Amino acid sequence: MRFRHHVRHEWRLLRADRLLTATLGLFAVLFLYALLNGSAWVRFQEDTLGALAEARDERDARTRAELRRIASGGQPSSPFRDPRAPNVLGSQRNSRPAALPPGPLATLAIGQSDLLPFYYDVSIYTNDQTFLQNGEVENPLHLLVGRFDLAFVLVYLLPLLVLALSYNVLSGERERGTLPMTLAQPVSARSTLGVKLVFRVIVVLFLALGVSVVGGLATGVRDVGRLALWSTIVTSYAIFWLGLATWVNSRGRSSAWNATVLVGAWLLLVVVFPAAVNVAAGLLHPLPSRVEMITVQREASNEAVNRRSELLARYLEDHPEMSGAVVSEASSSAALAWAATEEVNRRLGEVVERYQGRLEEQRRLIGTYRYASPALLAHDALLETAGTGDGRFSRFEAQVRGFAQELKDFFVPAILAGDRMTEAVVADIPSFRYREAGFQTVVGRIVPALAALLAMTLLVSVPGWRAMRDVRGTS
Amino acid sequence: MILRTARKELTDTVRDGRFRWAALLVGALLLVALGAGWMHVQEARAQHETARATAREHWDSQGEKNPHSAAHYGIYAFKPRLPLSFVDQGVDPYTGTSVWLEAHRQNDFVLRAAQDASAVQRFASITAAGVLQQLIPLLIILLSFGALAFEREQGTLRQILALGVPRKHLAWGKALGTAGALALLLVPAAALGAAAVVGAGGGASGATLGRAAILTLAYFGYFSVWVALSLAVSAKASSARTALVVLLAVWSVNGLVAPRVAVDLSKSLYPTPSAFEFAHTVEREMANGVDDIRPPDREAITARLLEEHGVERVDDLPVNPSGITLQESEEFGNRIYDRNYEALWDAFERQSRVHDALAVLAPGLAVRALSMGLAGTDVEQHRHFASAAEDYRRDLMRAMNMDLALNSRAGETYLADDELWESQPPFDYEAPSLAWVLGNRRLSALVLLFWVVGAAAAAAFGVRRMEVG
Repeated sequence: MRFRHHVRHEWRLLRADRLLTATLGLFAVLFLYALLNGSAWVRFQEDTLGALAEARDERDARTRAELRRIASGGQPSSPFRDPRAPNVLGSQRNSRPAALPPGPLATLAIGQSDLLPFYYDVSIYTNDQTFLQNGEVENPLHLLVGRFDLAFVLVYLLPLLVLALSYNVLSGERERGTLPMTLAQPVSARSTLGVKLVFRVIVVLFLALGVSVVGGLATGVRDVGRLALWSTIVTSYAIFWLGLATWVNSRGRSSAWNATVLVGAWLLLVVVFPAAVNVAAGLLHPLPSRVEMITVQREASNEAVNRRSELLARYLEDHPEMSGAVVSEASSSAALAWAATEEVNRRLGEVVERYQGRLEEQRRLIGTYRYASPALLAHDALLETAGTGDGRFSRFEAQVRGFAQELKDFFVPAILAGDRMTEAVVADIPSFRYREAGFQTVVGRIVPALAALLAMTLLVSVPGWRAMRDVRGTS
Repeated sequence: MILRTARKELTDTVRDGRFRWAALLVGALLLVALGAGWMHVQEARAQHETARATAREHWDSQGEKNPHSAAHYGIYAFKPRLPLSFVDQGVDPYTGTSVWLEAHRQNDFVLRAAQDASAVQRFASITAAGVLQQLIPLLIILLSFGALAFEREQGTLRQILALGVPRKHLAWGKALGTAGALALLLVPAAALGAAAVVGAGGGASGATLGRAAILTLAYFGYFSVWVALSLAVSAKASSARTALVVLLAVWSVNGLVAPRVAVDLSKSLYPTPSAFEFAHTVEREMANGVDDIRPPDREAITARLLEEHGVERVDDLPVNPSGITLQESEEFGNRIYDRNYEALWDAFERQSRVHDALAVLAPGLAVRALSMGLAGTDVEQHRHFASAAEDYRRDLMRAMNMDLALNSRAGETYLADDELWESQPPFDYEAPSLAWVLGNRRLSALVLLFWVVGAAAAAAFGVRRMEVG
């Protein structure tokens, strides 16, 4: 009864404050705008993937028609593009698309999806170089600035809303002279304050989670588990800021002092620390340059071309499983070319492995830096939950590599044996389907960040909460 | 009196622990960012030089080959870094650094550094330019939001004015005091930056120094805007707290919201095709031609050549029709690529113009454009390099095809040797002149000037109409 009474009272106070209601209204607009932006981007990706699938079907239909025509006595349209040759049917001309569907909560966070490729054309010639390609066509300036999505509003701007609502939760009462009167009632300072804080949490979360969940569901999000995870992260992050405000309020200083300190804290945690982390990361863990990869690849391919027949012999030695396939005379040029290709890939793979090892190490170290700021923690966790962070993209890349290997396993024995492909084969060519990480995997990836965020929240809330015991009506 | 006020303001500031901490933090970030940027650029330049030399060596030493095979082999071009890019790396991490120049195709730039970096780094990728554009204005706000509002709250404003100090002098004194405090931070940083520019790789060229001077001027103008704006708000706000809130709101819109809104707005005004659509269009037009651009027909070319040279048989032709056909198909491809790439680049530039125009609402957009432009890291200068590389590719392909056409005959096996490869001029890229950059960024310069004048006028107006107590 008393709780409801309090809440109703707080609600009236809030409604009476023009500045605050205007701020809430502004935030509602920002949230909606961010959501629309995110869903437009998801639609764009879906349209692209649709066009991609359509193009593949057309290509397949053309290939089948040509194979049918040749089977009934026709000539291939070009001797270099005879689809009966397995090195042609498996080539880039007849590539199989490997597509990463937009992340389960991609409408809520655009994340890395505007920068990293979300589809590849895969063939037997797919190698490490394939993964150096660019993502979507985008103005580099836009990639630099980043997008206005819900994750941005939640991480950067939501704290400001929390602070605007709570910087004077205690000091305001004292300054207006209402605190002694409140405390004269048979209620403890803590419970009064507790109600005020809970009320503020409800207002903020109603807005933030309401838009996330309702907006997400309305724009086609179906993964309820991830939505719950997203809500948990947002809630912890909002409570962190509220806890910070409580602590600052418990110092018993003026509202102006509170405001200055809290805004300073926001700047440090959201802007300055992440920037410092980035500068430090660039200095201490510079990412290795890829320029030398190009040089190595060139050298490898020059050499490989010159040593084709030697390479084929060695290839067959290295791959006893292939030696059952007799290398026929007719196929020898294709087999030689394939051996050279494999050699280039092997050399390139060595360089890339070294490079990738260093890159992973640097990224892992930089990853630990996110514990420097709750904003970085929350942002990273939100992206991973949404499926637009680095984790899902590297998972995709790994699966594409696996798929390229499947294609090779399918075509290479035929290349070495000099087999001819028929229309019936087309249906058997492997195709790609992204296997989403299980919910446990996602949770596992986020737990450390979430735990750290909760620890930070406790760290700032507990001292404040304890200090509230000694609150007096006057300073 | 102006100087006396300034001195008092400066002393106050320097004694204030909050300023000292803030300045220390921002100063350290600025220096580290400058240092890291400088090291990064030096390293990238060295790598670029090595890679360029190796790429050329590969080209020169390909051995005996048909010129068209050499054209397919091609050569890699690497984007050079201008000396000032250590201050502002601009869009460089997002444009890619290398392009393969080969027969028949205009390739995209690959190797974008940002694709290797993680989301953590992208969240707050900051360079010296970021510190200058975001954090220094913040410091200015913290220094001066209370300049007049605090004096009013404490009642000292009435006293000072009662002494007969002209308001204008008081305001100038406050502004100079803030400027002095900032100078303590920025002058050493600028001196170090200048030393780095002059000391790097055997002295700086006149062009670099010119760019650096204007860059300094642009940032000076930008900081003046913030000092004047802070004073104006401090003069008019009902309390120091309100002044702070208003200024921070302006700061967030300037640095956080406006740039992102500009992205969405410019994308919706000038949409670009998807990568798939773009590739598909090029592929289709390459296969079938478009409008009056038609793919060359080998037989028609041979017939034309026979007529031109007045001979009956292909064997009697003094040129190899294959070389001529290859060159014509190269030119056909060039027209298709020009159509599509020009449209794309033009769309990017129109999008950039939207950002530039929105600077009327957020001065940060204007100084960002100027800063990237002068550092040589904006989208326009990337396009400048990309077109130069493409022109070089076309010259190289023409040389290969014409060698084939003039030095061989139809049907014979023709191999050229190192002499031909070595006779090709190297790709020497010359960055655009300062005048080109300024012409390109004139809108931003104009908008920044508008802000300087507008903010100064607002400060003058605010101070003249300021309530005393």
